[in-house]
Amino acid sequence: MYNSVTPEIVDELIEIVGSKNVIYDNKEALEAYSHDEVAEKSYAHMPEVVVKPSTAEEISKIMKLANKYLIPVTPRGAGSGLSGGAVPVEGGIVVSVEKMNKILEIDKKNLMVVVEPGVVTNEINNLIKDDGLFYAGYPMSVETCYIGGNVAENAGGGRAVKYGVTGRYIYGLDVVTPTGEILHLGGKRMKDVTGYDLIHLMVGSEGTLGIFTKIYIKLMPLPQAKVDLLVLFKDIDTAIKIVPDIMTFGRIIPTSIEFMDDLSFKTSCKYLNEKIPFEEAGAMLLIELDGNSKVELEEQYEVIGNLCMENGAIEVYIADNATTSERIWKIRRNIAEAWKQYSPDQSLEDVVVPISEIPKFMEKVRKISEKYDVPIPCYGHAGDGNIHATPVKNPKFTMEEWLDILHNKLLPDLYREVINLGGTISGEHGIGHKRREYMSMAIEPAQLEVMRAIKRALDPNNVLNPGKLV
Amino acid sequence: MKIVVPIKQVPETSNVKMNPETGTMVREGVESIINPLDLYAIETAIRLKEQFGGKIIAISMGPGSALEAIKEAVAMGCDDGVLLSDGKFAGSDTWATSYVLANGIKKLGEYDIVICGERATDGDTAQVGPGIASFLDLPLSTFTSEILSVKDGRIKVKRLVEGGYEEIEMTLPATMTVVKEISDPRLPTLRGKLKAKKIEIPVWGLQHIAVKEENVGLKGSPTRVVKIFTPKVARQGEKIAVRDEETLNEAVDKIMDFLIKKEFI
Amino acid sequence: MGEVWTLAEYRFGKLSSVSFELLNRGKSLAQKLNAPLASIILGFAIKDEDINELIARGADKVYVVDDKNLENFLVESYAKVLIELVNEYKPDILLAAATTTGRTLMPYVAVRIRTGLTADCTVLDVEDETGNLLQTRPAIGGNILATIKTPNTRPQMATVRPHSMKPALPEKGRSGEVIRKKYDDSTFKTKSKYLRFIKDESQQVTVQDAKIIVAGGKGVGKAENFAIIDKLAELLGGAVGASRDVVDRGWKSYPHQIGLSGKTVSPALYIAAGISGAVQHIAGMQTSENIIAINKDPDAQIFHLADLGIVGDLNEILPILIDRIYDYKKREASANV
Repeated sequence: MYNSVTPEIVDELIEIVGSKNVIYDNKEALEAYSHDEVAEKSYAHMPEVVVKPSTAEEISKIMKLANKYLIPVTPRGAGSGLSGGAVPVEGGIVVSVEKMNKILEIDKKNLMVVVEPGVVTNEINNLIKDDGLFYAGYPMSVETCYIGGNVAENAGGGRAVKYGVTGRYIYGLDVVTPTGEILHLGGKRMKDVTGYDLIHLMVGSEGTLGIFTKIYIKLMPLPQAKVDLLVLFKDIDTAIKIVPDIMTFGRIIPTSIEFMDDLSFKTSCKYLNEKIPFEEAGAMLLIELDGNSKVELEEQYEVIGNLCMENGAIEVYIADNATTSERIWKIRRNIAEAWKQYSPDQSLEDVVVPISEIPKFMEKVRKISEKYDVPIPCYGHAGDGNIHATPVKNPKFTMEEWLDILHNKLLPDLYREVINLGGTISGEHGIGHKRREYMSMAIEPAQLEVMRAIKRALDPNNVLNPGKLV
Repeated sequence: MKIVVPIKQVPETSNVKMNPETGTMVREGVESIINPLDLYAIETAIRLKEQFGGKIIAISMGPGSALEAIKEAVAMGCDDGVLLSDGKFAGSDTWATSYVLANGIKKLGEYDIVICGERATDGDTAQVGPGIASFLDLPLSTFTSEILSVKDGRIKVKRLVEGGYEEIEMTLPATMTVVKEISDPRLPTLRGKLKAKKIEIPVWGLQHIAVKEENVGLKGSPTRVVKIFTPKVARQGEKIAVRDEETLNEAVDKIMDFLIKKEFI
Repeated sequence: MGEVWTLAEYRFGKLSSVSFELLNRGKSLAQKLNAPLASIILGFAIKDEDINELIARGADKVYVVDDKNLENFLVESYAKVLIELVNEYKPDILLAAATTTGRTLMPYVAVRIRTGLTADCTVLDVEDETGNLLQTRPAIGGNILATIKTPNTRPQMATVRPHSMKPALPEKGRSGEVIRKKYDDSTFKTKSKYLRFIKDESQQVTVQDAKIIVAGGKGVGKAENFAIIDKLAELLGGAVGASRDVVDRGWKSYPHQIGLSGKTVSPALYIAAGISGAVQHIAGMQTSENIIAINKDPDAQIFHLADLGIVGDLNEILPILIDRIYDYKKREASANV
């Protein structure tokens, strides 16, 4: 159904972007563009050619060429995704935005920054820090991922409780459509109801509806102080019950409320040789607060800390400096690595359930875990019900057995339970092609048809990132 | 048992940034913390107290902001604290700092053990602990890695030296500097933080402790900083990537050539 | 002009090589100042050949204090003796190695004789106009270098980072004066007592003494994999180093730790395997003469320091390297027969 990339087509691509921006006939160099951060090798696929354009016009020409010869095009940021979104599953052309890495404008008067898609997300913050500003998007891969990929996936991450996810900060987008039209959506306007909200149709479209070439991002005043609380609870129920209370009784919105089940933190603490009395605990919350002064945060952590102690917490640790903060975040950050010692084959899921359903969800996870004899440590963002339930291959299974259990039994079971609890299958990593086969479980047919109709309308030849999402 | 723990507030240096033009540290936005190596001293003191009872006093010389470091020490489990702070102390080198701290400790009255971190992560001299011991005319164990016993007015310790450990015994009162191996510092708890918030930390200046003005600050310091500059660290290194069997062999060849050329094998 | 003194270290009936490094330092200073160079040796049953060795390697004078009470290092007794010597002979400069002994004894002494002391110097020089000793040392985790002097008091004291200079070589036919001092028992009264030394069997070569250090970081993967680091170190006759992460995780004991909260080292060769190069670690090893880095992450900070950088998996590379070194040594050995 698609055509292959011929040497002649490569010549045309060279004509567009220049020979040094085309990778072709070099297996080793192409290999780097065949996968993202999904560990499972079966999700990788080799591109036929990689091009690195520098302008919207070049991308537009590439899209027109792709439509002319019916070649699939897969846009790619830093390749740090977790759903296979940037993997060229049909081969063809990979459009890497790595050359489009300029910060075009820092507009302090409008609290906006205008960037190209290949800018590393953290770089934005490094650049505006001294102006007392920051961009609130905070995916865990913030030091390597590109802002373009964050927008395409509508990335969430650690600060979503207070600051929401990527889309909230996107006020304008220049987009090359699948047919090669260049759209200028939004801009520096704070309000805009002139027509359909195409910006937020594009945000989270996983590279299936367009390739971004310019992004307008809203900035926030940079909080001057930060405090973390590590709270040990005897069980999951007690821990989760606190979460809404922090906001209702405490009247405080933390930047993040991270949750770790015992399987997660015990493995991590043992791996790190951490000496806090973690063995007594059955669940942990890591609560981060930010604000403008230490005094303000002191009041807040007292409120939250006391609330936790009065409601069954075993211990509350306070970290208000770099040394202690680093020490407690290490526990959260090293869960995946610690589990790698057990088995490197893991499926990092990011299901969402209503916060109040987390304890029930955890019960279901335990049952699934027992049923298939697969450990499933659960951790993640309790503050927004986004849980990284992570099935880890039991070494007793062969790879073949494991993949069969995971894809055909375990994940469907897990997703079914999530959906029954009013949740959904992905909160921040996206569908890509990793979860595409499960879309119909989560999305009703009529809604899926609307999505497909939009895709058909914008991409009649289905050349942009085919095999993904819809 | 009364234990004194001298601590220092230092800039958080794990993400330190230097101004390439002036060669000085960029202080803006750099957080101040307790010298990380002092945490082991605090933890050691807390464990001694848990075992033998008594009282722990954290003492620091520094600007007013060093109160925060003392409060953090209290939040971890110290009972009390004192800040030695006076404009005239500014610019003290290790001699003058040891002098001020030793005299501050004297004013605290009777004590059994003075426990210091091995060194501070900013100055990195490791001279103040031994300096305090010398001023107080106390026996000293540096690089202490374990306390073996405390009884009958004596303390038996193990210290980390080149090639192994030494055991020594000191009569109390005694001084020691400790290394990381001695303990795993605890995290401050909410209870500790609340206690620290309420506590009044006295601030002693020149007139409160028996020190001579000519012995403190820049005037009292035998050493002078002539200049500060940034070292050249970047090297003209060669870097090669291993991708397959062939490049793997190439990489090993390179290492072999290097080792042979420089006569390491 | 007073003398330039270097403190020799005499342990277990042997002079340590830092004693000769200090002589090399002292020699160039003494030349510039046109002053005599002397070594101080404190210990028990000190052999004449060791005293002569100090002379052969550059000492014009050797002050010897040989006493049963000095058999093992105790700061109180060593300090008393050293203070006596300084007060009697009034040297201009007193250098010791920045070893556990030097870093304990020197500050204890400097306080008593009210003079300046600079820790862990890597460069020593003489100020032209004044003849003052210029002492340069890294601070703030090696991010800066500071040059320090002691303008108004004497002696000018400094501890010197081990391995920051080569040992002075012996010259045949050199002669020097030996001054033996005796002190009465009151000098040796201490409030501390030496009990015993326990050798650390995990360190065949210690990181402080090693010419070569093979250090492993988190990239080693797990405790069991450290065997490969141990093996390479052994083959090269070097010591095993470790990053903070490794020690925190319990893969290696603390005496192996290099960096801000561990040891500072300057070996001739430092092989960093699976170490990313956080400030924490770099502070402890950046003055190494040669650095080879092996790391999977091409952007790892350690590569900025490396003379040779290999981007790759140490668990793949090191076994092959070990085989190659082994083969090479075997060939060399048979070629020499």
